[in-house]
Amino acid sequence: MEVLCLTALFLPVLTGFITGCLKQDKLRNSVVLISLLMQVLVVLMLIMHPVSEFELLRFTDSIALVFGVDVISMIFLLLISVLWLMAAIYSFEYMKHEDHRPRYYLFYMLTLAALMGLSMAKNLVTMYLCYEMMTLLSVPLVLHTQSKEAISAGLKYLGYSVFGAGLGLLGIFFINHFAATLAFVPGGSLIPELAVGNENLLYTVYLLMMIGFGCKAGMFPLHAWLPAAHPIAPSPASALLSGVITKGGVLAIIRVTYFVFGASFLQGSFAQTICLGLAIFTIFMGSMLAYKEKVLKKRLAYSTVSQVSYVLFALFLMTPLGLIGAILQIIYHALAKNMLFLSAGSIIYKTGLKRVDEYKGLGKQMPFVMIIFTIASLSLIGIPPLGGFVSKWYIAQGAFSNPLGLLGIAVLMISALLTAGYTLPIIIDAFFPGSAFNYKKLKKKDVNILMGLPLGILAVILIVCGLFPKPIMDSLTLLLSALF
Amino acid sequence: MLDSVLTIIPVLFPVLTGAGLLTFRFKERKTLYFWVAGIVVLNALAALLMIFTHGAEPFVLFSFTDTLAFVFRVDSLSAFFGTMVSILWVLTTFYAFEYMKHEGHEQRFFAFFIMAFGVVLGLAFAGNMFTLYVFYEFLTLSTIPLVMHAMDGKARHAGKTYIIYMMAGASLAFIGFIFICLYGGNELFTLGGTLDPMLVKGNEELLRFVFLLTFLGFGVKAALFPFSHWLPAASVAPTPVTALLHAVAVVKSGIFAMIRLTYFSFGTELISGSWEQSFLLILAMVTILYGSIMALRTPHIKRRFAYSTISNLSYIIFGILLCTPQGMSAALLHLIYHALIKITLFFAAGAILYKTHKEYIYEIGGLARKMPIVFGCMAVASFGLIGVPPFAGFFSKWALATAAVDSGNPLAYVGVMVLILSALLTALYCISLLVKAYFPPKGEQADGHDPNWLMCAPLIILSAATIVVALYPQPLLQAINLIAGIS
Repeated sequence: MEVLCLTALFLPVLTGFITGCLKQDKLRNSVVLISLLMQVLVVLMLIMHPVSEFELLRFTDSIALVFGVDVISMIFLLLISVLWLMAAIYSFEYMKHEDHRPRYYLFYMLTLAALMGLSMAKNLVTMYLCYEMMTLLSVPLVLHTQSKEAISAGLKYLGYSVFGAGLGLLGIFFINHFAATLAFVPGGSLIPELAVGNENLLYTVYLLMMIGFGCKAGMFPLHAWLPAAHPIAPSPASALLSGVITKGGVLAIIRVTYFVFGASFLQGSFAQTICLGLAIFTIFMGSMLAYKEKVLKKRLAYSTVSQVSYVLFALFLMTPLGLIGAILQIIYHALAKNMLFLSAGSIIYKTGLKRVDEYKGLGKQMPFVMIIFTIASLSLIGIPPLGGFVSKWYIAQGAFSNPLGLLGIAVLMISALLTAGYTLPIIIDAFFPGSAFNYKKLKKKDVNILMGLPLGILAVILIVCGLFPKPIMDSLTLLLSALF
Repeated sequence: MLDSVLTIIPVLFPVLTGAGLLTFRFKERKTLYFWVAGIVVLNALAALLMIFTHGAEPFVLFSFTDTLAFVFRVDSLSAFFGTMVSILWVLTTFYAFEYMKHEGHEQRFFAFFIMAFGVVLGLAFAGNMFTLYVFYEFLTLSTIPLVMHAMDGKARHAGKTYIIYMMAGASLAFIGFIFICLYGGNELFTLGGTLDPMLVKGNEELLRFVFLLTFLGFGVKAALFPFSHWLPAASVAPTPVTALLHAVAVVKSGIFAMIRLTYFSFGTELISGSWEQSFLLILAMVTILYGSIMALRTPHIKRRFAYSTISNLSYIIFGILLCTPQGMSAALLHLIYHALIKITLFFAAGAILYKTHKEYIYEIGGLARKMPIVFGCMAVASFGLIGVPPFAGFFSKWALATAAVDSGNPLAYVGVMVLILSALLTALYCISLLVKAYFPPKGEQADGHDPNWLMCAPLIILSAATIVVALYPQPLLQAINLIAGIS
């Protein structure tokens, strides 16, 4: 079903350009809605009938655009298209108070196309292409408001991302020399004869690639753009940047680690140790900074820095359980972080309040939004039975075999505590402002259906996925046996 | 023999008609344009005809002595360079018709502009080092009036700088030329080198040092650091000159001479692995970063692109210095991609200057909405320059970096890193400009509109060409591999 593959890639491009030309809001919104519903449908059909390999375009003998769908792709495709749909419905209401709506939806849809391509990329060049496209097409979302601050955040985002991708590309040049093929092979594609004697070079290259792709995922030392760029975008875009686009970097790391170098080659190397160290440090640093930050959206951005590094930590463990934990954390964090940013957006949209110390009594004003916020926060902290607990459980189990892993587990615990520290006070303030608080002056301000529906659906998905992680894990078994 | 005489027609015709143009008086601008267009188009066609119908038959114009002879020959590298130059010259001529209306002294301008065309073709068709050297000098002379065109203080100063740098470079190159003659090298260019192995034996060290000097000499035209100062200074010239001569013809003549020197005269065997190679590689890397950093720091649009040219020329030099067939092929690929991209960027900058008199980035806030075609083309070219796949620059960067890794030279590994760093800087200096034009801070709105078709058509053709060569690079790649001797 190659036609499905093509549709998944080019449907958003097409609708993007159509919506970019439409002046009427109602018409534009319905085009976006229909297109995204179709996108989810196409993705579901693609999951039923996966295409193993599909060559779209061949530039030269060694460089070609090849797409295909494996289990990892399926998980990403479904996650991305569903979250995109939800954030779009939310945008219909939220974007009413922003200008340049046609442009927003144009780049919104184009970024989706880039992410679809990234999920389905079958070789390194295709992945790199989609990765760069994802960066370039999402820059207009960051600098949407065109304030001085937004523009400089956009350029910062661009610079960091291009540099990160550049480090990735540097690795690809070396892989081109040392690997049998640029395509993704479960278990790794290096030629053993060439690799012998060049291990240190290859480990260094791997490390640079991880730092490079880790940039998108907010990993130290290339994390500084994230807290500047994510909060400045319109809230639905922040939600996607933080919840989904950071996972683009994660996906690249999965591909390079497990499908190019191979876990067996990297296991026990100095590169692995350094990567683990960086991830652990980032987890701690992100939580700490989030704890100290007072502006809600910035706090959530720092939280992303920390939470996505849970995923990276799990991936760098290079154990089957770690990988399962990583995949689950990707899903749960994407859902939870979307809910958090969308709730924060609703609060700003309805009340204009941006700082966490202004939220006293908000639970009475916007009970629905605050309940959603609470559910997402609890998952983020990792309180059972919500999703975050399950993923952390597996990550910790995967970490036991590794000496640095034990340190990681300790940091995970501390980070969970800090996560509770930076989310729960908000909730407590909102619902229990204290006896001295004057309830009289409060007015009901809860969101309408366009904003409420996506929040509700996301919450349901999060709870269901948290209660029944088994299908996701079962789908991974076949892949795991090929990888390890 | 009679057949090969024809190869000098595209060289001599423009030189003579250009000189003739200086003596005539035209009553109307239209008649001047008619003649100029006629000469350039005819000559480009003639050049292409020569290139595609002639084998590698050498033609001796005349011999001074036994060893010093004026020889022309069209081999595959000449064909490559000649084709590129001919096509770009035609496009630039049409662009110049509109642009030069504001500058005055059009007749003098077009006279030297046409002459330079012949000289560059002469350089491309030169069959041995002597001929190449002569045309190399002629090129400097014929382009001085173009640089100084405005004849105000700034332009004349730039012109003087230009002469001094060029002459110094040529004199270094002259040393090399003498040694090539002494060691049996003034033969027809052949891939792999022309030096006599019997004579070379025992003198390798000396010859490598001579190579270094000569390479640096040619490096002046190719804007190798620290000889690059003349290039941004020369951006005072009218835009068609900056676009064609200072992004393509003159600077790439330096590159062309370097390729002839390294691969066709000295031969890579002699140079590969020497400290001279390492020294020059380091110099090229320094230039790459220097150019990019300076470009990022320069708010003047044309000068920013001039610095970007310095950086990108050293990408090509880096490829040449790898001393492998893959390196040469990558260098040639980047040569043609950069030519197309940079000429587009300069045309776009020129169009902005021509229509709005804005020269600095901080003046163009929001201009993209008013000049959609110019900025659209500029965006396409910028992405090509950064090397975002699937735009053009990606493939040349790919070729350069993989050639560097394959060469196994540790310095080349560092070079790959430098390429990546420079790509980052390129992204910053290109995209910050685009962001300013497309997403200005609130309230900023510059005024202007797209120029007429004489300026827009070359822009559109060139940016379309960058897309085509990026989407179908295979034929071009094959041709280039053939030149570099990769089967």
